[in-house]
Amino acid sequence: MFLEMRGISKSFGSEPVLADVSLAVEHHETVSVLGRSGSGKTTLLKIVAGLETADRGELRLDGRRIDAVPPQARGVVYLYQEPLLFPHLDVWENVAFGLRLRGVGGEELDRRVREMIASLELEDHARKRPHQLSGGQRQRVSFGRALIIQPALLLLDEPFGNLDAETRAGMQALFKRVAAAYRITSLFVTHDLKEAILMGDRFAYLKAGRLRLFGDRESFAADPEIGVMNEVRFWESLLGGKVPS
Amino acid sequence: MARILVACLCALPLAVLAALSFAGAWPFPDVVPSRWTASRWLEVLAGRGGLAASFGVSILISASVALLSTVLGFVTSKHVAYHRRRRLLLFLAYVPFALSPVILGVCLLYVAIQAGLSGSVAGVILAQTIFAYGFAIVLFQGLWSPRMRAFEELVHTLGGSTWQLYARVLVPLAKEMLLLCFFQTFLISWFQYGLTVLVGGGQVKTLTLKVYDYVGEANVFYAALASCLLIVPPALLLWANKRFLFKAV
Repeated sequence: MFLEMRGISKSFGSEPVLADVSLAVEHHETVSVLGRSGSGKTTLLKIVAGLETADRGELRLDGRRIDAVPPQARGVVYLYQEPLLFPHLDVWENVAFGLRLRGVGGEELDRRVREMIASLELEDHARKRPHQLSGGQRQRVSFGRALIIQPALLLLDEPFGNLDAETRAGMQALFKRVAAAYRITSLFVTHDLKEAILMGDRFAYLKAGRLRLFGDRESFAADPEIGVMNEVRFWESLLGGKVPS
Repeated sequence: MARILVACLCALPLAVLAALSFAGAWPFPDVVPSRWTASRWLEVLAGRGGLAASFGVSILISASVALLSTVLGFVTSKHVAYHRRRRLLLFLAYVPFALSPVILGVCLLYVAIQAGLSGSVAGVILAQTIFAYGFAIVLFQGLWSPRMRAFEELVHTLGGSTWQLYARVLVPLAKEMLLLCFFQTFLISWFQYGLTVLVGGGQVKTLTLKVYDYVGEANVFYAALASCLLIVPPALLLWANKRFLFKAV
């Protein structure tokens, strides 16, 4: 297993947020974590990123204990719901940001940034500032900024939550394509059932700080607590049992 | 027309000061000086006499105070903003403003004496910085927000060190506020009188103290010259603020 979490617990004051969470993520797979607001999704990701510390438990990345490793040395990038593009930098410099932190410059930097911008179909926007971009374009730049440094693990915290339905669908498709192209290992948290099913290779459900892992899509969809069957029944009752082709 | 009238009214005291600084003699009831001289200005420009030295000392003190309090206040304010005892720490930052200036001055004089810095430029810089530091911490509080915190976390997960965080993100994002704080703390120091008198012990003669000295001696021509010099740096900073700071906002 590439990422292993064992018995992770976290409380804020007297309020438990995560209780004995264990999860494993394989190389180059995306695990979707479905959970409602306040279920502990963000805290879980922040612990993996090193932005929060767990009260108990063990965290391993590629076999190495990382509990005490600072965030800047983990190789784990955490993407927020908001793209958080640096407003003082244009698209090109936002994408180049992580490379510049690592001292990459000259032709190599130019080539890698140009390739990343092209793969995200942002060539015409390279010199624009974040406020000149649409929501979807900003989120694409945010992906590019994270992917260009080839992180060991990508953590996505409802990254499409602020987008309209159409842009969201486009971004989901783009993420699937880019994740496959760059062989990304990722943990994708969302409160959106459909998105969880679309984005994940495997699935987990987080409720009141407790995580349940499902082996495949079918068992995830069949679980009554997840709500897939409720959705199906709703649409069936709405359409009188006839799903138009 | 109204704008011209207002501009004239604002410029009148400055014009009188400038005229007085160039006056060789201005007997009552003449409307303009009866004799003009540039000797006092030439003396200052040549670096001779006490005024030129006071101008230099004032610039040194105010620039040091502004730089120190802006840099320290910026860094400290971040830690205060995210601290679980933020309210208490902010209250402490407000203390220098809540205290009577005389009491604050005596306290800082004690600090300067203990540090062996009373009666020195370094002592005045220390005392004024302690006062301006609290101001800077309070001023920067508006900068730190959950969004700024998210930027910091993002930079760290992208591999950035604390130094890179400041250099590449925090300072560029806070540029306008840093300039504003430098400007404000420079002014606090530039026009400071009580602290300079107490901690400087009469040995550190800033331009503000010189103006009071000349007024006390009824030396109106030198008082006017010192006042003109007192206006120049703030006027330049105000111009720079308008030219570079507010244009960028």
